[in-house]
Formats: sequence, C-alpha cells, structure tokens
Amino acid sequence: MAAYIVRRLWQMLPTMLGVILLVFFLFNWVGGDPAYVLAGKISNQEQIDNIRRQLGVDQPYWVQLGIFIKQVITADFGASWSTNERVSNILMTRLGPSLTVVVPLVLLATLISIGLALAVAYVRGSFTDRAVMIVCTVGLSISILVYIIVFQYVFAYKLGWFPVQGWGDSFWENLFVYASLPILIGLAVSIAPDLRLYRTFVLDEINQDYVRTARAKGVSENQIMWIHVLRNASIPIITNLMAGIPGLLLGSFLIERFFSIPGIGREVILAVERSDFPVIKAITVYVAFATIITNLLADLTYKAVDPRVQLK
Amino acid sequence: MSARSNGGDQPGSMSSERRMRTGPSTSDPLVSVRNLRISFRLDRQTTFEAVKGISFDIPRNSTVALVGESGSGKSVTSLAMLGLLPPENSIIDPSSEVLYGGRNLLALPVGELRKLRGADISMIFQEPMTSLNPVFTVGWQLEEVLRLHMGMSGRKARKRAMDLLREVGIPEPERRIDSFPSQLSGGQQQRVMIAMAIACEPKLLIADEPTTALDVTIQKQILELIGDLQKKHQMSVLFITHDLAVVGEIADYVVVMRNGEIREQGPAKAVFESPRDTYTKALLMCRPQLDRRPARLPVIDDFINGPGPRNTEERKRGVKPNDAIVLDVRNLGKSFYSREGVFGKREFKAVKDVSFQLPKGKTLGLVGESGSGKTTVGLTLMRLHEATTGEAIFEGRDLLSMSPSEFMQYKRRIQIIFQNPYASLNPRFTVGQIIVEPMQIHGIGSSAQERTDMAFELLNKVGLAEVSFYKYPHEFSGGQRQRIAIARCLTMKPDILICDESVSALDVSVQAQVLNLLQDLQDEFGLSYIFISHDLAVVKYISDQVMVMNDGEIVEIANSDEIYRHPKMPYTQRLLASIPRGWHGQRARASD
Amino acid sequence: MATNIATLRDGSGALVRDKRHAVSPGLWVLAWRRLTSDMVGMVGLAIVAAFIVMMILSGVGLLAKDWNREVGVNYAPPSFVDSEAATTATQQVHPGAETAPAGSEYQSTIVDPIGDVIERLKSGKGESQPAAGQPATSDEKSVDPLADVMADIRAGKGVGAAVKAEERKATLPFGGDKWGRDVLKKTIKGSETSIFVGLASAALATFLGTLFGALAGYYGKWIDDFFNWFYSVFSSIPYLLLILAVAAVLQQKGMLTIILILGLTGWTGVFRLIRAEYLKHKSREYVQAADAIGASNGRRMFIHIFPNVSHVVLVQLSILVVAFIKSEVILSFLGFGVPVDVVSWGSMLNEAQNELILGKWWQLVAATVAMATLVTAFSLFTDALRDALDPKLKGRLGA
Repeated sequence: MAAYIVRRLWQMLPTMLGVILLVFFLFNWVGGDPAYVLAGKISNQEQIDNIRRQLGVDQPYWVQLGIFIKQVITADFGASWSTNERVSNILMTRLGPSLTVVVPLVLLATLISIGLALAVAYVRGSFTDRAVMIVCTVGLSISILVYIIVFQYVFAYKLGWFPVQGWGDSFWENLFVYASLPILIGLAVSIAPDLRLYRTFVLDEINQDYVRTARAKGVSENQIMWIHVLRNASIPIITNLMAGIPGLLLGSFLIERFFSIPGIGREVILAVERSDFPVIKAITVYVAFATIITNLLADLTYKAVDPRVQLK
Repeated sequence: MSARSNGGDQPGSMSSERRMRTGPSTSDPLVSVRNLRISFRLDRQTTFEAVKGISFDIPRNSTVALVGESGSGKSVTSLAMLGLLPPENSIIDPSSEVLYGGRNLLALPVGELRKLRGADISMIFQEPMTSLNPVFTVGWQLEEVLRLHMGMSGRKARKRAMDLLREVGIPEPERRIDSFPSQLSGGQQQRVMIAMAIACEPKLLIADEPTTALDVTIQKQILELIGDLQKKHQMSVLFITHDLAVVGEIADYVVVMRNGEIREQGPAKAVFESPRDTYTKALLMCRPQLDRRPARLPVIDDFINGPGPRNTEERKRGVKPNDAIVLDVRNLGKSFYSREGVFGKREFKAVKDVSFQLPKGKTLGLVGESGSGKTTVGLTLMRLHEATTGEAIFEGRDLLSMSPSEFMQYKRRIQIIFQNPYASLNPRFTVGQIIVEPMQIHGIGSSAQERTDMAFELLNKVGLAEVSFYKYPHEFSGGQRQRIAIARCLTMKPDILICDESVSALDVSVQAQVLNLLQDLQDEFGLSYIFISHDLAVVKYISDQVMVMNDGEIVEIANSDEIYRHPKMPYTQRLLASIPRGWHGQRARASD
Repeated sequence: MATNIATLRDGSGALVRDKRHAVSPGLWVLAWRRLTSDMVGMVGLAIVAAFIVMMILSGVGLLAKDWNREVGVNYAPPSFVDSEAATTATQQVHPGAETAPAGSEYQSTIVDPIGDVIERLKSGKGESQPAAGQPATSDEKSVDPLADVMADIRAGKGVGAAVKAEERKATLPFGGDKWGRDVLKKTIKGSETSIFVGLASAALATFLGTLFGALAGYYGKWIDDFFNWFYSVFSSIPYLLLILAVAAVLQQKGMLTIILILGLTGWTGVFRLIRAEYLKHKSREYVQAADAIGASNGRRMFIHIFPNVSHVVLVQLSILVVAFIKSEVILSFLGFGVPVDVVSWGSMLNEAQNELILGKWWQLVAATVAMATLVTAFSLFTDALRDALDPKLKGRLGA
C-alpha cells in the first residue's frame, strides 16, 4: 500500500508540471504582454513597468517559466492587478464562503438523490419511474441561469423570504440566512442529474446475480434494495462524489456572482472580467493540484470501499 | 428401501449405491411439476414459448437430473419453481402448477413463498463469483439466511456458520468466515454457496449447472460433496446440467429436455441403458467416449432421420517415430509482468520451457486445467503474444524471431480458431466480408469475382448455404459461426491450424458436427492440428498425441491411447481419474 | 439451419415461422428500426429537426433577419396579453433606456439626466433611436450623452433602418425587449447561434476525443502514457474554469472563438470513453483474428474496431451538443461568449434579469422555453438513440 502511494505521488509530478505549462502557455504566451491590460487600470507608467519587470515579460520564455514555477512553489503570486490585494490573501479569505454554500449543498443533494434513486429503482419500469425521469430531463434542460433569476425574483424579491444578496460576518448567520436560497437553488439544479446517474448505478446492481441469490434465500425486496443493492451501488456513488470534490473549491460561481457571495467562484468571474491574470493563474493552478491529489484520495477510498479491488 | 452401506467398492464412487435403489423411497413425490408452460415477451408483438407444458416429479430423498442443451428450457424451469423469473417479461400459464406440500408454489403470495425460499427449497447457481455479494463477508452472507429463517443471531449464528463451512470442506473456517468472496477460489466460492443453501436443512436443493464453470478436478470434489450432503440430510437434489457424463455419475432419475419439451424421463438405468427417444439416443452417442473412437462421431441427424450411425469402424491414432515434423517448438517461454513495489516488476511465468514437435497431418492435443498455460502456448505460436524465450522452427526458419514483415508471409501458413464463436467474428461485417478479407490482404485470387466464388466454395465445404455470404454473424448459431471461422482460415490454405478450445462452448450435438468437419478437412488437406482443450474425452477422440500441461510446464507427452490407458505422472493420473465416467463408464469399471 | 427453432407467436397467438431473408438487415438497419419505434425519441428528433430547419432559414436570412430593428415600443408586451397593458406600455419612457446597449454585465440602471430631452429632440426630428446594432465604442458603465447623436449619424449610413416612433407597434407576438426589438425574432436568431455553436464545437470535441482515444487505447504503452498525461492535465482543471481562463486570455470574441474554446477543452470525456472501448475491443477475439489473418494496425483500428465503437461516438456527440448549448448560454450571459452584435439566448437572459424586476417577463420566458424545448427534445432523442444502438439488445433468447 505504501509503495502504491509513493508510486502515485511520483506519477503526479508530470501532471502538475503539465498544468503549470498549460497555464503558462495560456497566460504568458497567448496572453502575452499585459501592458495593454494594465494600461486601463493603473495610470502610473512606472508602476506598469515595475510589474512588467517582475513578470519578466521582456525576458526569454524559459526565464519567465522559472519565475512562474517559483511563484507556484512559494505560493506567492504577487498582487491582484485590479485591487492590489495579495493573491494569496484573496484565496484564503474567499475559500470559506464558497465552502459554506457548497458543502451543505452537496451533502443534502447526495442524500436526497440516493433516497429518490432507490425509490425510483424500486418501481422501475412503472409510470412513476418514467414520469420522474422525464421531469428530470426537462429540469436539466432549463439553464441554471433561469433557476437563479426566477428563484431570486420570486423568493427573495417578491416574497422576501430570503435576502436578495449579500453576506454576513458570523458563520451561523451566513449558513442559515444568506446561504439558504443559494443552497435551495443548488439543490434544484443538482438533484436532477444526480438522480439520473444514481438511478443508473442502482439499476446496474439490481440486475446482478447476487440479487437473484438473495431472493433465492428468501430476502425481502426491501432488504435487497436497502442493504444488498445500496451497499454495492455506494461504490460508484462514492467514487463519483470524490471526483466532484475539486469542483467544490470553485464553488458555484454563478450563484456566488448573483448573490454577491464573496467566494472563489465570484473571484474568478471578476478576475476574468478585469483580465486580472495573477488571480486566474493562481486559482487555476491550485484547483488543478487539488484535483490531482483528490484523484489519489478517490482511488484509495475506492479500495477501502470495494473488497474486489487490488491496488497495484 | 435398501440398506445404506457406507461407501461403494471404490472411494468416491457413488454410482454403485445408486444402482441398488430401484424405485422411489416413498410413493408420494416431494415436488410435482404439472403442465408448466412459460413464455417470454420479446417485444410488443412477439412472445417466445420457452417451456411448453412439461410435467415431472421429484421424489423424496433422491437426485433428479434435468438434462438438456442450451435453449432447452431447463434453467427457466428451475427458476420458475422458486418464482425467480423476471416478472416484467415472463408469462407463466395459469394452469401450470408446481406442487409442494399440497400447495401450488406458482400461486402462493410472495410473503409465503419467501418463507420457503432458502429454508424448504434452496438453490445454487452456475457462476459462484457473481452469485455471491462481493461487498459482504462470507460469514455475513451465511448468517443472513440463518437470521431470516431460524431467528439466530450473534454468537450462535456465527458458530453455526463456522460449522457449515467445515461441513462443506472449507479449510480454516475461523479465518475464512471473515473473508470476502473475491478472496476465495472458484471451488471454495461454490462450497460457500452450498453452505448457504443447506444452512436451514432444506428438503430440496436445486443446483443449476453448479460445476460447469469449474475445472474438472474441482468438479469432482463438488459433485462428491453434493452427493454426501444429499445422503446425510436426506434431501432431494434437482441437478441441472448439459453434461450426460455427470448425470450418469450422480442421478437416480433423469429428465431429458429439448426445445422446451421433455423428450424422455425415468430412472437413470432405464434412460441410459434403454433409451426410447431418438434425441436421447443421439445425445448419448454424440459425445466422444473414452473407450471407443468411431471414425465419425454420430450426430443428431443420424438418429432423427434414420436408424442410427451405420459406420462403426474405429479410427486408429498415434504418432510413429519417423513421421514428418511440420513444427518444432523448443524451449518456449512466456512471462507476463506486473508492477510491484515502487519501481519493481513482478514476473508471472505463464509458459515455462515448453518443447514439442507437431507431426505433419496429425493432431497434437494440448490438455490442462485453467491457468495451465495451454492457451498462451497457442497464442504465442501465432505471435499474438510476444514470446519471452524459445523458437518455433517451421520449414527451417524460426517463426518467433522473424521481423513482423517477414512473418507476414508465414502468417497464412499457421492459423487459429478461437473458443468463443460469438466474439471471433466482427459483428459489423457480413459473412462474405469476413471470408474475403484474408484473401484481399494476402492477394489470393485475381479478381473480386474469383474471391467471391472461392468464398462460396468454402461455405459449401464447411456445410453452410451459399446465401450465408450475405448475412451477418448474429443470425447464426454457435456451431455455424465456428464453421465460418474455419472457412475464413481455409481461404489461406494453412499448414497448421490451432484450435483453441474451439468446440468447448458448443452443445454436444453441434460439437460432434464440428469435430467431424475438422477431421474431414484434415483427411482432405493434410492439415496439422494443435487441439487445445480442457475436455479430456474430446481430446482423446481427436488427437494422435496428447500433451498434458500444468502450471506452465509439460507434465507428460504420449500417444493418446497410451496416455489414457497408462498415465505415468501423478498429475495426469489425477486428471484422468476426475473425468466423470457416466453410467456406462461406471458399469464397465464395476464389472472389470 | 439453426439447431434451435424459435417458436414465435405474433399478437393474435398464431405461430409465425422465423423468416429468413436472402439479404438480411445489418446492425444499423436494426438499430434504425428500434429507434423509429420509440415514440418519445421520434418526437424529440422531430423537434430537433424543426429547430435545425429554423436555424438554417435564419442563417441564410429567410427568417428573423431584421431582429435588430426596433419595431415595437420599449418593453412592448406580448400580443396575447390584454391590450390594456399594451396601452400603458406605450406611455412609459424609461429613464434607463440608454442608447448604448450595455455589455452583458450591465447591472445598474444609471439615470441619464438629459436622456428624455434628447429623445424628445429626436422624435421631434422624426428620427428614432439608432438600430441597436451599432454599439458605442466603449463598454463602460458611464453614459456618453453624445453617443446617441453619434449613433444617429452612423445610423444614416447603417443597414438597420429605423422605424418611425409613431409607427411602432404597441404589442409584438411575444413582446419586445428594452429597445422594442421583437422577442420572437430574437429567440429565433438566438437559436441559430446556440445550435450552431453547439453542433460545431461538439463535432470538434468528439473528433479530437475519438482520435486521441483510439490511438491511446489501441497502441498503448508510451502513446497511451502521453495521451493520459495530456488528459489528466486538461481534466484536472474544472471545465468552466478552463473556459473562463481561455476566454480571459483571448481578447477577441466571436463564434469561431467560442467554438474553438469549447471544442479544444471538451474532448476529455469522449477520450476516456473511447479509450476504454478501444482497450476492450483490442483484446477481443475478432481483433485477434484480424491480426492472425494479417490485417495491419490501421486496418484493425478503423475498419474493424471503429464500426463497433461508432455507436458510442454518436451518443457522446449528442450528449456534448446538449452540454455545449448550455455552456454557450452561460458564456454569453457572462459576456464572454458571442460579441454584442450577435444575439444569443444567453444575452437575452442577461437582459431579462433586469426586466424581471420591472415586471417584464416575456424575454425570460421566450428564451427559457425555447432553450428548454430544444434541450429536452435533444436529451430524449439521445436516450432513445442510446437504447436503439445498444448492441446487447440483439441476440440470445432466454435459455
């Protein structure tokens, strides 16, 4: 096991390097000289020259690459081009709000989806099953934008049950007052695809031989569903969840933007609008690294959950 | 009822006891199947009738064998008895009955049926790996059935589970009880299934092809286990199989099914010694026997359209010292590598230092259990795997060390027929495209028309209609697809043909047809065969020389008659002793 | 002759002999038959086809060519709403009715103190506000009081002929937007954008994913290692983040840009699936048999394996089309999608956000309904397609 982990860690390095190269290629090569971008924001030419020198824009590419790698390792990307706030500070402070919305959202969405998936699989082939699936399909086809706009309008603006936007200072206030409507919208959008996916996982298990054996032993349909099938279906479900964890860091940036929640997602949008390269680069690189590490954790979890798997 | 003496004249021989019982133990049967009629809905318009109104009895305390080839409806019958058919598309005729204890199982409410399942009537299946739940321990699954029907829990259940594991012959039950199914071998998994099935002392055990997926030595152990348990617990066993030899070993009663109907049923002695139905007769004769070798195997048509095979002369086989050698294999080795540790590799030697010679125009049989390396030898000779060591000398040149472009010329000289007829033909090609392709690649035939004509000719030679040229593989049965594969090989006029378990996936009657075809082609074209199989009876029939492999090495090579009569190595002896002899075999041996 | 003779009965219970045709249907024909018998899927296909026809007509200019023209009064309500609302709409002059159509992130309504003065001036002249197709040069939030005058001048040379203020309709079939443009026509034109972008980028992504997946799965070893590395680099960056990053860097906008962005980043899912398929098929016996008879690598990859994998490719293509339509809408909404002079459902939703607060719901509904209809229809069709192409359905009967 330890050997497996070591080997995987060793294999992660080329991927991380690849991410750095990709980001570098995008922002330093394609993006090129940021002078034109900075010109609109910073009027002080000397300041602009300073930044350009720091970035090494007039240096050969491999020097620039070296500078970038150093930035990644030391986690110091300098300051944001638009707000002058230190990028590392930006990342640290924005992580909390993102997680406050997204973590409860994922927990609730998963539990509800699993329950619904089992229920629907129980009555598979029936009218209820097909009706629910069609409702899911239609629900999926409406853009998340519409959900946000409509929900915000109806529940916050018109009915006043929730604040239209904003964020508070205390954790509990944030969780229950400001995050509620965003979480609700997130649920409306996530349950449909999750339900479809989990239903497929559950149905795959129902057709397996061991279910026939359980029936031959006299096990009731309920026990088959909730004990035998669920335990097996939980393997792909957990794997799927683990794969989605890196996305959590990003938050749901549309929701954050609409509700003015100071999370990482909103930061990304602002940064893109303002062409604030350091922020975008930093977020991209770190989210990518988090994904790579999470993949390893996902594989280890898979091994813990599925007795058939042998890691080599 | 005759007295039970322990054991028979030979250890592990159950048949001698069987023959002593001539009638049912008590006159009223344990289970009575009456007019069972089952259909499946294929789509909105069509239904398919799988079982067409069959009736038979399962007497108490006896073994009933339900025999048939694929498509006969035997599995469907057994599933229907416990209500395990998929309700969405299966239709059971309301007049069908399965009577047990005075009640019709088909009409019972599900709650009542569940009480019987696993307790009064239990079932074991063909594939133990997938039939056990992979995420729960063996102990948990055993205890589940004890919890459900006997209300046991905690330490009591665990102790009983361990006793059961011991009873079915699992070594170290205290350790195994907490294992997961994936940590056990196929034979052990089947034992666990059996333990689960007998945990509540059922009156009837339904066994649906329980040994088909197991090696022949393991099969013997499982059959013995089931026989012992049947005696000890005085239960009845409904044993479903396609293998008549197995039936002959274990059955008191035999029910023969074909295409959803019962062709014959009765006590084993009557069915084996004086079968009345033509299909039963054909089935008994089609299978290669160990003591005879007819020049042609009889096929079903011989019996249905006529009185039976007329030509009963035998074919002599054997390799003589001065036979010409067409392929000389020396020190063949193949290793597979997998990762180990941080940077290391682990070597698995599938084939270790194999050497043999293939005589021209003859058949070399290559026999072994799963994991013996026999298939790897075949694939390596074809260069479908790269050999790790060794040479294969053909016409003075080493086939294994040539460059790929040089080998192209020799590729047509050595060809292979695979085991799975459903996977070896490209489902998107027509039969015509499949047969013509090798001709196109090797430049055989000077025009498309000429190639098509050759294809028609070959189709005829393998016994298929010319119109098959335009059809797709999915329209053909397994045996027909193997013929197409054979035709494809023949386009290149090979010298050597490797048959890798080529008849193992076929029904007995179809197997006989394909074996006959292969023999005809050898007689006509002087082909040399390497015939790889785990089926010892088939290998003895078709081979001149037999090579036994175990664990990647050759154990013994000898002429086929010699090796079956006087096996020298212990492994060979054990292998041969595991072959189910069937009814006649037992009688022959008993009267020696 | 097959050894198993099926005893088939048709609906009336009579025995039907299994028919054997001289020339039998191939797998594609069988799949097509299955597909056409699935009602829901066929309805979905019909709707999708209708949208595509609409897209083509709109693209060549036969339909909704003049979506840009302000033919109605500002915020004209739909005709099916009662006329009382219609009359009230004509009276209002909204303070926020800027001449410069804002960039997509325009959120606040800035009051222009002399806006109504300028309007009166213009209506006095008999000229109306310029066609919205000529944006002001800067997309800043402040208002240039001379912008509309400048736009006037340009309008004189421009294509979009203005409609006189008195001739503007009070209601439009599905209402009008802030500048009085016909929502229905905008929706139709918007579908052209979304569908075209969806199809083109899906085609690009599917092509790349299939090619890479085939090479990686078939050849294995270092080719596989290389593509896997490439794949893990791309897939470790969350999809939308990657798109936004690329959008940030590419300053010019345009349909081609979006198609490239979506296509060059969205191939990862297809790659993983096709690679797995090729790995699976490569060890199948029919491929080994092809090797044994002497088929080359290329022949095996494309003539033997690909036809057996093409159904997966087709389904993936459909799934990607749906995903990319939705992505394009989001991108356009945020302003990183199509340029300002091209209409998209995303830009309509952007405008709708503010309109909703003013109680004007029709643009939101139009865009949502159009999009939902198309995406639902496509999704249902994709499900039916997947069921029809599933090779497991053909073959053995229960034994």
